[in-house]
Amino acid sequence: MPTARILRNTLITALVIAAFAVSYRVTEADFPRLFLDLPKGKELLTAFLTPDVFTREVETRTVSLVFPIPCGSAPTEESLPSEGPRLVPSVLCAEPLEKFTLEGYDLQPNSEVVIRWRLPDGRTMTAIRTQTDANGYFTYEVQARPIQSTVDGVASRLEVDTLTPVGELKPSQALKDVLDNMFVTIFMALLSTTLATVIAAPLSFFAASNITRKGCLGTTVYYLFRSFFNLMRSYDPLVMATVFGFWLSFGPFPGFLALTVVTIASLGKLFSEAVENIDPGPVEALQATGAPPLHTVRYGVVPQVVPDFISYIIYHWDINVRISTIIGFVGGGGIGYYLNLSINDFKWHQAGTAIWAIVIVVWAMDFLSSDIRKRLT
Amino acid sequence: MSIETATRRPVVRSGIASFFLPGLGQFLLGERYRGGGILLGFVVMLGTTVWYGKPLWYAAPILIWLWNIWDAISLANGRARSILLPLLFGLAAAYGIGWQVVEIDFSKANMDRALAILRPMTRPDFVQPRREVNQMWVPVQVPCSSQPPAARREDAGRAAMVIPDCGGVGETLIVNVTGMWADAETNVFWQNPIGNPLMLGEGEITMLTLTTDENGSLTTTIRVPSTALVAAPDPTLPQFHRVYFEQYRPTGGYELSFIGNEVLKGALATVSMALMATGLAMLFAIPLSFLAARNLMSGNPVTYAVYVAVRTLLNILRSIESLIIAIIFVVIVGLGPFAGMLALALHSVAALGKLYSEVIEGIDPGPIEAIRATGANWLQVVRYAVIPQIIPPFTAFTIYRWDINVRSATVIGLVGGGGIGFLLIELIRVNNMRGVSAVFIAIAFIVIVLDYVSAKLRERLV
Amino acid sequence: MLKIQNLSKTYPNGTQALKNVSFDVQDGEFLVVIGLSGSGKSTLLRCINRLIEPTEGKIIWDNVDITAAPPAELRHIRRKIGMVFQQFNLVKRSSVMTNVLSGRLGYVNPWTSLLGIWSQEDRQRAIQALDRVGIADKAHSRADALSGGQQQRVGIARALMQDPKLILADEPVASLDPVLSHSILQYLEQLNKEGITVICSLHFLDLVHRYATRVVALKDGVKVFEGSAKEIDRAKFKEIYGEEAQEVRAASL
Repeated sequence: MPTARILRNTLITALVIAAFAVSYRVTEADFPRLFLDLPKGKELLTAFLTPDVFTREVETRTVSLVFPIPCGSAPTEESLPSEGPRLVPSVLCAEPLEKFTLEGYDLQPNSEVVIRWRLPDGRTMTAIRTQTDANGYFTYEVQARPIQSTVDGVASRLEVDTLTPVGELKPSQALKDVLDNMFVTIFMALLSTTLATVIAAPLSFFAASNITRKGCLGTTVYYLFRSFFNLMRSYDPLVMATVFGFWLSFGPFPGFLALTVVTIASLGKLFSEAVENIDPGPVEALQATGAPPLHTVRYGVVPQVVPDFISYIIYHWDINVRISTIIGFVGGGGIGYYLNLSINDFKWHQAGTAIWAIVIVVWAMDFLSSDIRKRLT
Repeated sequence: MSIETATRRPVVRSGIASFFLPGLGQFLLGERYRGGGILLGFVVMLGTTVWYGKPLWYAAPILIWLWNIWDAISLANGRARSILLPLLFGLAAAYGIGWQVVEIDFSKANMDRALAILRPMTRPDFVQPRREVNQMWVPVQVPCSSQPPAARREDAGRAAMVIPDCGGVGETLIVNVTGMWADAETNVFWQNPIGNPLMLGEGEITMLTLTTDENGSLTTTIRVPSTALVAAPDPTLPQFHRVYFEQYRPTGGYELSFIGNEVLKGALATVSMALMATGLAMLFAIPLSFLAARNLMSGNPVTYAVYVAVRTLLNILRSIESLIIAIIFVVIVGLGPFAGMLALALHSVAALGKLYSEVIEGIDPGPIEAIRATGANWLQVVRYAVIPQIIPPFTAFTIYRWDINVRSATVIGLVGGGGIGFLLIELIRVNNMRGVSAVFIAIAFIVIVLDYVSAKLRERLV
Repeated sequence: MLKIQNLSKTYPNGTQALKNVSFDVQDGEFLVVIGLSGSGKSTLLRCINRLIEPTEGKIIWDNVDITAAPPAELRHIRRKIGMVFQQFNLVKRSSVMTNVLSGRLGYVNPWTSLLGIWSQEDRQRAIQALDRVGIADKAHSRADALSGGQQQRVGIARALMQDPKLILADEPVASLDPVLSHSILQYLEQLNKEGITVICSLHFLDLVHRYATRVVALKDGVKVFEGSAKEIDRAKFKEIYGEEAQEVRAASL
């Protein structure tokens, strides 16, 4: 007996180790890479930790000078000013792709600096961003980017904008957008939970063995509904949303429908279990009074399951808020869509705002739902 | 007279109070919860309608406000009004606004399109009849050099040739093949030097399919595809392209199709991702859970601070979906199952850490007391009084988490995290609904089977 | 008159709960069914209103074959048979009033009652029924807020709503203390005196002596005794309850 047990345990251990070994290969786990590339994540994380919540009015001041490329294609700046906000390049003109140093004096102190080329036709290109110090000074090595920028003797100009925050803090555009999308998300969860409840509550009785599983027809209906619920429940709403998104194109609607379908299955299963766990006594008593079957359910079953149903609905609303925050990734709509857009545009601070909003809402819902459910029982 | 003024005053007062601040009148009459609830409901309703900004819906907070004044006055007269009415206003507005915000429009639900999607889904692309291939090719030079080599090839009793021996883009060639299977459908297609097949049928988007004669030979004219030189570095340099002839015939039985194979691989990756993530998460969650257990950590201020810090961290991490974490890891380690696995692991650390710490908090303090009484130190107490009590629930929770992780792993691919979700989104992108159907079947299979297995395993543990 | 002829019941798992039981019940009787737990008392009572389908035999009530009645007619018959249960079988979360009203479900308009709308007349009747069992003041309490004895009185009131000609009482006092037992049985006795036939299963012999006009005893699904309570002597008692049984009096508990 002990040998058999040792053998069995060894076998189980070996199986587990083998499973992990296979998994390690299949998942292409590459931990050295994780640590080597961690600095890439640092920038991301810093951005997420400093979400774009408030902005200030930005005052933009521009200084510029003529800078012909290549030399001789147009007259250079005749004389550089010696005071006031001014730009001082190390050369007055340059060949294409030549590097030179650009210094700025007496600009707005502690401001963001945007260096760019203004082409003769008015277009701009290549924005380098840097920062002025407390004296309003900056220096930066600039490359003469436009290959041939002088057109009809008009040279391109070097422009430098200083962006100085002034005035009161105010909510940023990102914050407003996040709030807007959060509303959509919460409504999506609310509506899908409601619709799912309305559909799942009556259907759940068909999947309850004590109500339906009588006779040949009843048993068929019971198994039909039960397997439908089990099947649909096995799909994550996001997986459903891919197909619904393909069908209904973009927007919150397909996400809402996908969420509703999965919630119907999930609630249907939970509801039917609640129905199965009722006290059969009252049902028997009502049958004995000669009440029709529907009335037996209405007066014998429904009053018993209402508290459980409410508890499950609230629980599911909590889950659905959580899911609808991310369902926008595939179906579109809501905060998930906004987050996806921000990430695709590399707007990490904006993404950070969305993530924080999600964390707060999910947290609040979690707290609220568990609190309400505790009171119910 | 004096009695009348005595009753009148609170009526007027509570009416006015509720006029200025909904719920205040009720609050002053001692109905604190009622007052608070009315205020909260009013503020939420007002906030929602103001945010939505369509004037029609302002009716809801206004009606609630009017009802609130009426209720305050009635309450002062000793009779509360039914809460049903404002609830109705609120719900009507909430669902009305929600309906528009979520852009619910069932007329958009085009049933023809739904059928077009669903019909191929009834035939999942998982297996195909086993068949054998008879393939032959012949080289042909494009564009022509000054002395093109003969475009002929013989192989295993089959011979193929192209006349003339070379051609430019869009030129007509005569191709001939002999020794193939007789009276069999034959696909004729072009292959450029990199190995990409190009179609030769109508508009170069359909397969050119012909039938061989009773001797197994076939002659037809083709046009050098317009895209034959698209991938060439220098279109003037002559290179060898190939004309392929391909025949299939069933040999009985079935085999995995290409998509079926991909689905299996995806399914394996999904389960593996979940397994790795759960294992990894367990390693980190176990030590963390001890730090997050209140009963072990509330001894002195330092450990209590650690407890609070760990708990907060776990709570924040837990409320970020693994899908969002996956996006970050995709940026760090690139697309693939590794990123998905890391995301699942990180989320699971938080989830398991919380479950584990609750187990530790719920253990029987008796043995701890007994071991401590023998003079054992903290570590010994943990080893002899805590660990024996927590192994079964820890294992049960870990298996449960694996189950959940498999479910999550099916979607993590949607953002590039690898596994079956990645395959799903690729198949949807190319409108391969038969493949999508296979993926759906696979997901249901994995999830239901693992659900069952995990439930059975946990049953045995507890 | 209720005629039970050769009644047998075999459960799907093979248990034979009733074996060829036959007896008659005259109108206006207070018939008590006694026997050990598992002797088939509950099955017998439930076969009468077909909450349990009998396997063989007939039950004929006022010349109508209950066992052959199709579903709609069966409900019609059930309306006239009130039932009182050991576990009261009230919907605990519903109000006493709703519980009592639900006894009327066999009679009322199916649509309005589905919405929970009841006529003034039915409400009046419910209050009267509750008044008869002395708990009219509890009409708007939740059923689970009541004590066991009060809940059983609600159960009787519910049966009264059916305007029954026959009341089946399945161990109506087994979950109550002895003192309450008498008060519940007195209500049944009162109804019996007003002309309602009562078939009641009981455990305690002293209660049987006090209330029964006639007794039927079951042992392992077989009828082993039929007669008046006085005829149960020591030997009969041993036969019904087995050699090791001791007579226990409810009042002495």
